[in-house]
Amino acid sequence: MDTCRCAGISRGAPIYRGIGKLLLIVAAVLVWSCLAAAPAQAQATVPPDTACKLCHVDNEGEITLPSGETIQLGIDLAPLSESVHGAHAAESVYCMDCHASRDRYRYPHQPNPAVDRAEFEADIAQNCESCHTTIEAHNPGHLMAKDNPNLPGCTDCHGGHDVAPVASMAADPVGTCQGCHQTYADPVVQETHEQIVANFSAEQTCQTCHSDVALTEDALCKTCHNLLDGEAVLPSGETLPLHVDPQMIIDSVHGDREIQGVPYSPLQCTDCHREIQEQGFPHDPVTAASLREWKLEKADLCGACHTDIAEKQPHDVHFTKIAEGNLDAATCTDCHGYHAVQPPNEPRQRISETCGACHSAINEQYAHSVHGAALLGEDNPDVPVCIDCHGVHDIEDPLTTQFRLNSPKLCAECHADEELMAHYGISTDVFDTYVADFHGTTVMLFEQQSPDQPVNTAVCYDCHGVHNILPATEENSQIMKENLLATCQQCHPDATANFSDAWTSHYRPSMEHNPLVYLVDLFYMIVIPVTLGGFALFIGTDVYRQVRERRGRKERGRE
Amino acid sequence: MSEHAREYFRFNISHRIEHILLLLTFTVLTVTGIPQKYADAAWASGAIGLMGGIELTRQIHHVAAILLMLTTIYHGGAVTYRIFVKRVRLTMMPGLQDVKDGLQAMGYNMGLVKSPPRMGRYNFGEKVEYWAVIWGTAIMVITGFMLWNPIATTKFLPGQAIPAAKAAHGAEAVLAALSIITWHAYHVHLKWFNKSMFTGSLTHEQMEEEHALELEEIEAGVEEPPISPAVMRRRLMVFYPVAIVISVTLLAAVYWFVTLEETAITTIPRQDTPVFVPVTPTPEGG
Repeated sequence: MDTCRCAGISRGAPIYRGIGKLLLIVAAVLVWSCLAAAPAQAQATVPPDTACKLCHVDNEGEITLPSGETIQLGIDLAPLSESVHGAHAAESVYCMDCHASRDRYRYPHQPNPAVDRAEFEADIAQNCESCHTTIEAHNPGHLMAKDNPNLPGCTDCHGGHDVAPVASMAADPVGTCQGCHQTYADPVVQETHEQIVANFSAEQTCQTCHSDVALTEDALCKTCHNLLDGEAVLPSGETLPLHVDPQMIIDSVHGDREIQGVPYSPLQCTDCHREIQEQGFPHDPVTAASLREWKLEKADLCGACHTDIAEKQPHDVHFTKIAEGNLDAATCTDCHGYHAVQPPNEPRQRISETCGACHSAINEQYAHSVHGAALLGEDNPDVPVCIDCHGVHDIEDPLTTQFRLNSPKLCAECHADEELMAHYGISTDVFDTYVADFHGTTVMLFEQQSPDQPVNTAVCYDCHGVHNILPATEENSQIMKENLLATCQQCHPDATANFSDAWTSHYRPSMEHNPLVYLVDLFYMIVIPVTLGGFALFIGTDVYRQVRERRGRKERGRE
Repeated sequence: MSEHAREYFRFNISHRIEHILLLLTFTVLTVTGIPQKYADAAWASGAIGLMGGIELTRQIHHVAAILLMLTTIYHGGAVTYRIFVKRVRLTMMPGLQDVKDGLQAMGYNMGLVKSPPRMGRYNFGEKVEYWAVIWGTAIMVITGFMLWNPIATTKFLPGQAIPAAKAAHGAEAVLAALSIITWHAYHVHLKWFNKSMFTGSLTHEQMEEEHALELEEIEAGVEEPPISPAVMRRRLMVFYPVAIVISVTLLAAVYWFVTLEETAITTIPRQDTPVFVPVTPTPEGG
């Protein structure tokens, strides 16, 4: 509250009645004297402030304070009578109850020591507390900051002689406050209050924030930003909306929550918006040049709590790209949201939606693939979503040689799992038969021995597709019999019709599949043991003869 | 006994060069080839690693294969010269007698037959080995061609011929390597060290046991009749042009074998789906 336009308290115009003025003064002096001498005896019949009223009702005099301000001595009794302290009050309030200092208000009155009108009023307002004993904590910023000379006293809001019932203030609470608080020196504070007041709901008043019981810092943030509907304009010309729905945060994973049975206290706004804690209100202007920069700046803070994830980040392709200057790459909040953070994998489809927000072309392919269709259409828990192949917070660049060389093992994690594949009737030989083939042998050896060296032999996705994988039975499948040659020709441009049959289609050789290979294997399975068996047999007999002959020679030698 | 200290000349320089070339190429092919067949085994991938990785191992294998083919061409030329120019007897031709000799040798070894077979210049054991090399080389060259040129092969043969060729190439290699380790190693290294392939001559004792018939002929002074220079010149007049034409043709065939096709492109094209395609410029809300 920078300035306080303390409105003067209205006073009844002095009523001037000349007749019997002197008489009244004499009578008043007498009554005052009597009361001062024996108040108890007079109370029952004559109100103790009769003399005050008699004297001040038609007084035309005025006191000039050192400040130059004047105080009229005449009082209009009607508003006083109609006020909450007046005729209808449950308990009578007399002049001396408020003008209580006996020294000053005993007749003849001593000169008032107040230098100005504010001090004069403050002096009287002190006495409100003698009856209103619970007002100590009333309206923080007013009575609680007594040292501020610019603060209003009780009378500034409630009135003096015409003290109004609180109900009348409640009828226009904002107006009551605005009696003083209309403009602010700081344009930000000015605009903020204008927006807030304009958006007050029926129940909301200035006291929603400036209540008798001081609000917590967090409640202030939430109350204020819930009422704001403006936007901060960034240097880029983009706007940052100031409205925040606190319910979003309360309902988020950072709100009231329980993790593994342990209740956690909700995050405070300043846990993430740390700079605000130092800045207070009004906040410093946003330094980020653009909305994107602002988001990246904010997301840096997530790691302060999520340290396990922050440790993985430097290896993540998104963060590497950001570090290289590509600000389009995703940061924490792009995937998780910020105020309305929800579990990212519930339901599982949410994951592909999240990635698809930026990678929509790929997500579109995935959605039509055998994996994506099962996820989106059947809620299948077995099919991979993006993160099953790409990882989560340490996402590897999938265009590297390492990723390519490791990809068959990645596919094999599911496709060589017998229990998993049994549900779908898919052969688990796919990995072994791939490795047994020229392509797979080469890739596996490269993977083991020189993972950085690019290799041109095919990995699973070169034939099956990357995100658009379809079963071989599907008409558009790259590996469908009719389309297979075209797939081979991607790498073997000169290949002709028979060439694609050189691939054994993941079948182990049998009379049914690849019979020629099966027969060659069978031939050598017979020829090798028979040949070597024959050799061994002959060598065995030859050794036997030599041993026999040597023994014979020895025996002859002995003879 | 002085007679027994005599060395009997057996292999000339050409024979010995052919053997050394075969020994070298066969060894290199086996060492670089067998680990490729069992590449998923730790020892095999370790061996490939020691040889500088799979690409280098394949290149060494290919170079050795070219040298083996050249050796084979040279051998063909040398054999043709011996048969058509020198008109030597076809002592390497297998016959029924070799089967009989084999059975007799085994019977004798077991003590069932009184005397060992008396064998000529090339005994049954050597013929088995020689023709195994001929058979094996033929299989390896044919299947090797198919593996080296799968696109050209499948223009004429069904696609399945390629994996079948791969199976045959590997199995034949195992058969050859094991034969060398057993049959060859036993007869010329373990039983006794037969140095004749390096020194050119054989001892009397070995001649007596393995080539008794030949020894008898040599002792009896039966020799090839000398060829008159005029006849020799006439034969060479025919041999040289024919040998040159066939050799050049075969060398061209080896060149064709090696350079026939570019099987695969060297760099795999990247998937070209655009990566960053945001649904909304900046994901809003929450």
